[in-house]
Amino acid sequence: MNWKVWSLKKSPWVFHVNAGACNNCDIEVVDLLTPKFDVERFGIKLVGSPRHADALLVTGVGTRQAAKRLQEVYRQTPKPCVVFAIGACACGTGIFSNGYHVVGPVDKIIKEVDPNAIIAYVPGCPPKPEAMISGVVKALSAL
Amino acid sequence: MNQQELDKKLSEVKNKLTGIERKSDKRIYLLCEVQNSYAINKFLFEGVGCRFVIATGIDSDNCFEVLYHYSYDETGCVITIKAFIRDRKQPAIESLTPFLPAAEWIEREIHDVLGIDFKNHPNLRRLILADDWPAGVYPLRKDLPKAN
Repeated sequence: MNWKVWSLKKSPWVFHVNAGACNNCDIEVVDLLTPKFDVERFGIKLVGSPRHADALLVTGVGTRQAAKRLQEVYRQTPKPCVVFAIGACACGTGIFSNGYHVVGPVDKIIKEVDPNAIIAYVPGCPPKPEAMISGVVKALSAL
Repeated sequence: MNQQELDKKLSEVKNKLTGIERKSDKRIYLLCEVQNSYAINKFLFEGVGCRFVIATGIDSDNCFEVLYHYSYDETGCVITIKAFIRDRKQPAIESLTPFLPAAEWIEREIHDVLGIDFKNHPNLRRLILADDWPAGVYPLRKDLPKAN
């Protein structure tokens, strides 16, 4: 394992991107940081800039307006990085799949700019915080 | 003002309405044509003192409908003004924003998605559609061709 991957797995800093979510997944992401789950004990820390991040937590369906912003955020994230598609919408556009404003799902938008991107899926509407922790563990152990 | 007095007050604009639908004691629809909508809204907001809740736009069978919802908080009565826009080619209605600033954004949104022109609106810019959304395409109209 090279040192970049080692340091990513040791303490993944995450940046939260809302690509058109209803805010339900976002609230569950915030739940992760509250004392009950407190993912900072695993070294998972929410940061304010994609340039500091090792992973992106993407919620939401991927709207026409958000797609370009998401691609730019992904471009600015140092590689290697893991993209977590959080929730049913981000994983596969969910109930909004035929909406006029939808260009997602998230993996499609990311793969337009980087076909080899590492993408992890956490389904659920919204996914439980336990499911997100499990998703992070599985994704990092696959690296 | 109790419910009877409110009913009496509402009958002052009876000649501008095309109908009153009373779904229950506390749910009243006032039906009107587009040219009378401004006056009735002004009467309800300034004359009766109702609270503006929200507006709705509908692409109906052969017309557009703009619905303005008001609440009369003293009795809990919800009053909706339903304005019919018969001109499907160039749908237009008088904006309420000059006397009712709370209507500004919802009118912009209805303009975005249904293409209804709000006359005398001070700032009818795009609100919710993407920046690269083509002009003149209104996503919530029924005659919109399916994209995929």
